[in-house]
Amino acid sequence: MAVRSSGEGNTAAALLQKLCCKITGLTDDSVIPHYQFALRILGSNSTPVDADEFQVVQKIKRQLVRRGREGDADSFSEMHRKLHSQGVLRNRWAVLHLFVTLSDTGETSQRSAVGEAMLGLRLGAPATSTPFPSSTPYTENRATERVTSKPSTDSLMPLAGASSSTSHHSQQTTLSSGISSIRGDVQSDGPTPVPQSFMPSGYTTPCTPWREEQSRRPPDTTDRQSVFRPPETALVLRSSRAMTSSTLTGRAQHDNTASEVPESELLKDLIYTFQGIEGKWIKLDAGRDGYRIDSQAGIPKAVRHIVSKLSECGWLYNKIRTYVQSRSTDKAFGLIGQSFCAALHQELTEYYRLIAVLEAQLQQEDDDQGIGEGDRLTLKRLVVWTYDPLLRLKMLAALVDAGKGKKGGALASTVYAYMQHGDPYIKALIKHTLTLVSQPIYSTLMRWIYDGELEDTYHEFFVASDPTVKDDRLWHDKYSLRKSMIPSFLSTDQARRILLTGKSINFLRQVCQDRTAIRGRDSAMNTDIKHGQSMFIQDEDASFQKMIDGVYTDTSRHLLDVLHAKYKFMDHLKAMRRYLLLGQGDFIRHLMDLLEEDLAKPAGNLYLHNLNGILETAIRATNAQYDDADILKRLDVRLLEVSPGDTGWDVFSLDYHVDGPIRTVFTPECMIMYLRVFNFLWRAKRMEYILAVIWKNQVSNARALIPIPELGHILHQCQMLGCEMQHFIQQVQYYINFEVLECSWDELLHKVQEAADLDHLIAAHQVFLDTVLCRCLLDEKSREILTQLRTIFDLIIQFETAQDNLYQAANEELDSRNHFDQQRHKRTEEGEWAVTEEQEQEEQERRRTFLKNIIPSTRAQMTVLAQSYQDMVLRFLVMVTSHPDVSLRFLSFRLDFNQHYKVKEPTVRSPLAGYRQRSRAI
Amino acid sequence: MPREIITLQLGQCGNQIGMEFWKQLCLEHGISPEGILEEFATEGTDRKDVFFYQADDEHYIPRSVLLDLEPRVINSIMNSPYANLYNPENIYLSKHGGGAGNNWASGYSQAERLYDEIFDIIDREADGSDSLEGFVVCHSIAGGTGSGMGSYLLERLNDRFPKKLIQTYSVFPNVDEISDVVVQPYNSLLTLKRLTQNADCVVVLDNTALNRIAADRLHIDTPTFAQVNQLVSTVMSTSTTTLRYPGYMNNDLIGLIASLIPTPRLHFLMTGYTPLTTDSQVANVRKTTVLDVMRRLLQPKNMMVSTPVHRQANHCYISILNIIQGEVDPTQVHKSLQRIRERKLAQFIPWGPASIQVALSRKSPYVQTAHRVSGLMLANHTSISHLFERILRQYDKLRKREAFMDQFKKEAIFSDNLDEFDNSRETLQQLVDEYQAATRRDYLSWGTQQVRFQTCDVLLLHGIIKHTVIRL
Repeated sequence: MAVRSSGEGNTAAALLQKLCCKITGLTDDSVIPHYQFALRILGSNSTPVDADEFQVVQKIKRQLVRRGREGDADSFSEMHRKLHSQGVLRNRWAVLHLFVTLSDTGETSQRSAVGEAMLGLRLGAPATSTPFPSSTPYTENRATERVTSKPSTDSLMPLAGASSSTSHHSQQTTLSSGISSIRGDVQSDGPTPVPQSFMPSGYTTPCTPWREEQSRRPPDTTDRQSVFRPPETALVLRSSRAMTSSTLTGRAQHDNTASEVPESELLKDLIYTFQGIEGKWIKLDAGRDGYRIDSQAGIPKAVRHIVSKLSECGWLYNKIRTYVQSRSTDKAFGLIGQSFCAALHQELTEYYRLIAVLEAQLQQEDDDQGIGEGDRLTLKRLVVWTYDPLLRLKMLAALVDAGKGKKGGALASTVYAYMQHGDPYIKALIKHTLTLVSQPIYSTLMRWIYDGELEDTYHEFFVASDPTVKDDRLWHDKYSLRKSMIPSFLSTDQARRILLTGKSINFLRQVCQDRTAIRGRDSAMNTDIKHGQSMFIQDEDASFQKMIDGVYTDTSRHLLDVLHAKYKFMDHLKAMRRYLLLGQGDFIRHLMDLLEEDLAKPAGNLYLHNLNGILETAIRATNAQYDDADILKRLDVRLLEVSPGDTGWDVFSLDYHVDGPIRTVFTPECMIMYLRVFNFLWRAKRMEYILAVIWKNQVSNARALIPIPELGHILHQCQMLGCEMQHFIQQVQYYINFEVLECSWDELLHKVQEAADLDHLIAAHQVFLDTVLCRCLLDEKSREILTQLRTIFDLIIQFETAQDNLYQAANEELDSRNHFDQQRHKRTEEGEWAVTEEQEQEEQERRRTFLKNIIPSTRAQMTVLAQSYQDMVLRFLVMVTSHPDVSLRFLSFRLDFNQHYKVKEPTVRSPLAGYRQRSRAI
Repeated sequence: MPREIITLQLGQCGNQIGMEFWKQLCLEHGISPEGILEEFATEGTDRKDVFFYQADDEHYIPRSVLLDLEPRVINSIMNSPYANLYNPENIYLSKHGGGAGNNWASGYSQAERLYDEIFDIIDREADGSDSLEGFVVCHSIAGGTGSGMGSYLLERLNDRFPKKLIQTYSVFPNVDEISDVVVQPYNSLLTLKRLTQNADCVVVLDNTALNRIAADRLHIDTPTFAQVNQLVSTVMSTSTTTLRYPGYMNNDLIGLIASLIPTPRLHFLMTGYTPLTTDSQVANVRKTTVLDVMRRLLQPKNMMVSTPVHRQANHCYISILNIIQGEVDPTQVHKSLQRIRERKLAQFIPWGPASIQVALSRKSPYVQTAHRVSGLMLANHTSISHLFERILRQYDKLRKREAFMDQFKKEAIFSDNLDEFDNSRETLQQLVDEYQAATRRDYLSWGTQQVRFQTCDVLLLHGIIKHTVIRL
């Protein structure tokens, strides 16, 4: 500016060259490129001209009319119409603009002092024609570049044929096309290229591209060499803005004696500000992040206030535009982010329209001084007119602020947060935005719940998938909810259902190999796809909920049906109950009979194939044979890990193989739980059978040993202890049967029947297992009690051994006595003395020794056994009573139904005792 | 199929109740009177093989041996639709066909003579089983064949199959009416000795109570054999349901019995059944809960043993097993037990732990009953000794007069002396004493004193040492 204003005639160019030499420190010759560059900088300026042919035509007509040449105006419009219809000339606007400018310059140059100062530049023009050796190849280069890179984006690009006739303004067009092409570059990356027409170059030209453009000047310079009247170009380049503003300033200086800035000046500034460009008076204050009015300018306080209020628009606009620009190129921002940007952009476009109108109004006023005050654009009017747009911009800026750093569902949530705005106007705006924003969510959602396909490259959807998960864990681990991405207009329950629905489909497709299409899928995909709105207006419209519920119910039902019908879930569940939970009593009984011998061996001596053979035999001999062959095939023997000293009883286990979809319910963890329960039940069952054997021995020996009445009381003692054990084990078994298995099973069946989806099924099964495990004393809390129970089991086995020893000894004695009697009988028959004195005494001695040996020791042994057994049972009862799980009270209740133990140990049933136990444990 | 049970039907009564029992089993398992599996009965949840064996895919034959010394009842069976059900080789009719003349001794002696023929059948039947669990004997203790032949068979079964269980369904005579069998007390006493010593479990079917139930509860003025036998067959079939419909527990006879019988001699079980209704009453069957059933089962009027209720006596339950059939909520079992204990509806032994066992059993899908829930109680109660005391009293009366001894003396067992009578009386008295001892706390040490006495004194004697109980 300074250079330009001080420069005069050739001296300006000379001075400039000197300055260049001075700054760069180069010689006159070598500085030429710099000098040319500097000239170009000076010569160039923004050309915020209306690229609207119609406006130009109107302008010409208005000027003609103003000058009283109505007839010319008519013939001009007639000619223009013809020109328009023939379409020979492409750049009609440019041509017309040239004419207008030419006619304008004539007037203004004569009128304005500033205009003369500018005309002075004309004198500098020859300097620009200084030969520039390297210009030609560069031009060619530039031209080809233009042709190849931006032909399509630039509708104003001169045709080869027309280039000579329009060479003057080709510089201009290149300029504008350059800018728009840059914008085009910028936007071609974005998701929704904004149509060029919405973006008059003058309004939106940001600073950065502007500079870029300048750096590309050389070809333009060469263009300008062929320009007939460079000064005009410079003038045009000065733009209407600079020129008119200076004109106005001049006029203002004429009008007002004070240094007050005229309103129209401010309005212009404001229009710039609206576009985020600094005006003459209104500058961007980086420090305070806002537009400020030049404090030096003479503007009344009230006006200042209004202006600063209005300038908010610009600030808001800047904010939104920056956001859109930075985000729309960001691919990772995802579909929802892009939709958001597009929505913002749409709004901005509206805003541009407004500015265009304002601008036009302002320009018209400039051109048409005579317009009445009533129609003039004033600050107050501007306030009114921009009231709504400001509100919109505010809202959008708020969205932009709130949405910073967010994407996907979270972004939608953010937008939705404004949905409840009380202002219906704002609400409509938000609703519109949200409709756009939520559309990608909705289509992803529809794909997910109807096809189970997750198209979510940018991780925006609230269902996340883990591709590393294998099919057998698909249900459990593959899909999860991305909590942060659940749009807040969807409830957690809906999100869960949506997750489940898609998961069910995937499960059906991938695990169950079921390809049945979801009912209503096609119609839904055809009609529903655009109903994204239904997601967030659920308070008014239940159709979304209905749709989700419908698909969820259908899919889940179908999945369960497939599981039940095709994969026979219930059959497997019942098989678990029958085999792993010993429900098939006759089979278990027979199996244990057959295995007894093998399992008594050390665990290391067991051979799986032998056991499998026995299993087969047991199946064939019992009702298990009527079971489904598929189920029997899955039944297998498994040996648990052997630790030293284990017998077969410790490691033997039945196993049930599960595969395919049911494995999702019967997970390996579940199977481990089953095996643990089996082990426990198997031990308990064994005790039951041992006691049955003990009882049978008691009965048959009581009969056989009648001849040795001395043993009577020992036998009775054994019977008493046996009966106590029998009672204990029987009651434990009844407890297991009812309180553990039957009750939980009943609940499980009930839940399975009611289950609406697979998750319910899995949960019900898990609860069943947990309950069984816990009530079988297999959980952590009951470890001590379980040990106690094992001790009792051990005592029972000890008792069996002790009693067997007794019976063996007693039966040997019985045999000896029988033998003696037979001998005596034989001798009597042979006619001899039945017994001699000697033999008699010998026999008596033997009998006495037997009784002396066997009676006291066995008696003592039995007493000790009985005592320790009873102590153990009492302690067991105390422990059970004090166990935190109330369901175990059922066990103690059963074990001491007639309060036999309570009499012995009063603490057994007192709740205080339990409390004391616990506190002691702590 | 393991754990088979062979049924022996002895005498007139035994064959009658046996026939009713098989009728019921056929109905429940969907087997036609000819032994052919009905088309609707293809479901494999029931265990038919415990009581039947399979001749071919569809033909089921009862593991049953029918024995009688006179042809009347067996002939009526052979003329019934069920004629072809049984294996004809298993039906044994004494050739001389004169019966035992209501004389225990005659039945016993005839059985002794027919030993080989009878045990041919039983051995063959036992060999036909994979792992025989035991025998079920149906007989009456008052007649001649059932009691006498039954007694002999019990002894021999014990010898021959010492490891097998023997359960009997023994019909006790009706004391309310004057029996035409005058020697009933003799027969009963002699049979009871064998039941005490040679059987593992005796289910007492007291004709007195059965007739009373028929009259009072079912409102039948003069109950016929068939009607009473219907009750018996219900008891028999229900008590075996847990064997025939396998579940978690009570899948074998031994498990069922062992928990009911703490000491070998106290093995006489009473039964109770509910609901006892006839068809005319079906309309007003109420909703029945587990508690209802269990409570009713504890009421004396539903018991099928007639024991006088002595409130002052300390008679008590040694054990109880309730088999409940029908639609039952398993979660209700515990609550019912709690209520029963709270209200002290059952008095248990003082010397050891005891409780009510409850087994839920499936009901046959092929038999339609009007009752939603029904229950059978098998109970070991000390008051059963009243029955034995009554028999002892009646015996003593007869014996004092040496009445009707001639018929007995004709047979070999009594030809020399009447020791067998004394012996049996003593056995039965001991049983009564033990039952009474079981009502007392000191039952745990029962028998100790008696042995002390014997060890110091009886050692000098050889041969049979008699149990003499010193009562304190």
